[in-house]
Amino acid sequence: MDYPAFKQFDYSQSIAFARGLVDDLNFSYVSRWKKANPSARVIGFLPIYIPREIIHAAGMLPVGLFGAGDRIPVVRGDAFFQSYICHLPRTVVELLLNGNLDEFDGFIFPSICDVIRNMSGIFMLQSKNRYIRYLDFPQNFDEQIGGVFYRSELERLMEDLQKLNNSGIDTQRLNISIDLYNKNRKLLKHLQDFRAAHPHKMSAVDYYLIRRAGNIMSVEDFNDLLESLLESVKNVEADEEDKIRVVVTGSFCEQPPLGLIKTIENAGCYIVDDDFQLGLGWMKKDTPSDTSDPVNALVQAYLQDSIRSSAVYDSENEKGDQLAEKVKHLNADGVIFCAPSFCDPALLDRPHLERAMDRHHIRHFSFQYHENLGQFHVIKEQAGTFADMIKLWE
Amino acid sequence: MDFTLGIDVGSSWIKLALVEYGNDSNIKDIIVERIRKRNPTQVIEKAVDHLLNKHGLSYDDLIYVASTGEGELVRHKRGHFYSMTTHARGAYYHHPEVRTVVDLGALFCRVTTLEKGARVRSYAMTGQCASGSGQFLENITRYLGVTIDEVGPLSLQSTNPARTSGICAVLAETDVINMVSQGIPTPDIIKGIHISIAGRILKLLNKLKVESPIALTGGMAQDIGLLAALKEQLEEKNMELEVFTARDCMAAGALGAALWGGFRHYKLLKVKQ
Repeated sequence: MDYPAFKQFDYSQSIAFARGLVDDLNFSYVSRWKKANPSARVIGFLPIYIPREIIHAAGMLPVGLFGAGDRIPVVRGDAFFQSYICHLPRTVVELLLNGNLDEFDGFIFPSICDVIRNMSGIFMLQSKNRYIRYLDFPQNFDEQIGGVFYRSELERLMEDLQKLNNSGIDTQRLNISIDLYNKNRKLLKHLQDFRAAHPHKMSAVDYYLIRRAGNIMSVEDFNDLLESLLESVKNVEADEEDKIRVVVTGSFCEQPPLGLIKTIENAGCYIVDDDFQLGLGWMKKDTPSDTSDPVNALVQAYLQDSIRSSAVYDSENEKGDQLAEKVKHLNADGVIFCAPSFCDPALLDRPHLERAMDRHHIRHFSFQYHENLGQFHVIKEQAGTFADMIKLWE
Repeated sequence: MDFTLGIDVGSSWIKLALVEYGNDSNIKDIIVERIRKRNPTQVIEKAVDHLLNKHGLSYDDLIYVASTGEGELVRHKRGHFYSMTTHARGAYYHHPEVRTVVDLGALFCRVTTLEKGARVRSYAMTGQCASGSGQFLENITRYLGVTIDEVGPLSLQSTNPARTSGICAVLAETDVINMVSQGIPTPDIIKGIHISIAGRILKLLNKLKVESPIALTGGMAQDIGLLAALKEQLEEKNMELEVFTARDCMAAGALGAALWGGFRHYKLLKVKQ
């Protein structure tokens, strides 16, 4: 796509570009992409994860819809949800009804919680001429049960997309797409590793903006942007401060306001890992991109190499140990459980995770937020006290 | 010699404390500078330069520069400590017997209870409303046409304190405007405000079931009228708590930050070894 020369961006240009994309509720990047690819389609998807490789192989642009934060007043969106429902669906519906999503040709709603599932119904009613799909994911990781089910889900999705775009998804195209997303995850991992080692060189807000922008851009553009960023971030001059290192978890769907992320860092915590854009790193390993059955490769990757998030039923309860392992690996001092109000998956998981942290003698504290939160004082108090406690008395 | 610098950035004042850190730490200097309408970051840098020049020091001579308060405005720092931690340490430095610290700042009132060694045990603070704060008191002085230094002595002259809202700053300010138009004497208005603020402090003290003695820190701790009102209310409620204004009360946060900075520096050295 004819877009700015990402490879020549310096650090501040990369961040400014990402911020522009994240702030743009009219999705002008999507409009430009469509102009450059007139016959191609754009598919919006809700958090957390969808197999973007398939959409890409169909010649389409997958675009993550992560709400609108505090940037739009929710007028009509509220009418669709009870008061005990989280905030993200309200702003997504508001965007739909306001026409901000007019460039989108379809929407995929992954199975993460009842609210996102029901949103697919709301979209069907409010957006009748567009492709709407509730994509179910297996909770059973047995190849003969969950594997067979997931393959049928993916094949149905591929059929739908082929009809929508009037073009086929062949083995070669899907393998190329898998390869591109493998590269993307590798670049993201390099950035994550760099940040974990040098959190003072890239603020948590900048890191968030880049990752969030990556869910809007094409994978080709995002890879170019990441490659230039990985070079330019090394040249950032910033003094390392005496802060504690924390892992933030629970914010994988409704996104925290930038002010909240900034507040945590200003209160004396380097966020060395988070799950704000969890879907970007859903696979822990590369998915094979040289097989004669790439759909099976995607299925196997999901069954064997995907991370265990709160949206995944986990009878072995390995999520707690997974989190503890991450904390130890990153040499983090503690965990901040930061979940949106009324987020069932995150809040139901929290007691289990807290118990696991206690078992591993890892310090933690928790709070709730909503995407349009404007007051961070209480959170600043909590994070500040947490940091002081660890710095002075641990 | 090991020097540490604490910088407390408030909404109205910048406070700096230069400490010679050791087993018996000494305060080398304290600077308190009003921000007025200037850029706070520039005020901080100018004040730090002045302080370091005065003592023939440079940044390299400081083992730890610690911020507290709105610390993000401090460019050259090694770490940040939270206000309750630093005010507790600052008060403890001069008064090791203290068990409770009440920080009376421009925007909030915060009560902290201490364990031995100035470790924070618990804390509570006022909510978003500013009616228990120094900023509120400053606004009131403008309506009354008095300076902030006159507030305390005037309050002590009151014979018939007026009643003001203890919940909302906006309502309290409206009350004061009405009182001025009704011709209520200034000392009685001020005393009424002091009683209202003392009531809010008392609620926080009750919430934490604090122990005596209590040290007051922050800008408002210098207000002798407020101290008197607080003592009166404690007596009225039969709460046997000794309360006093901490030495260097205004710079307690900066002092605490400098002291914790030194402590942290040596803790990190120990971890490295």
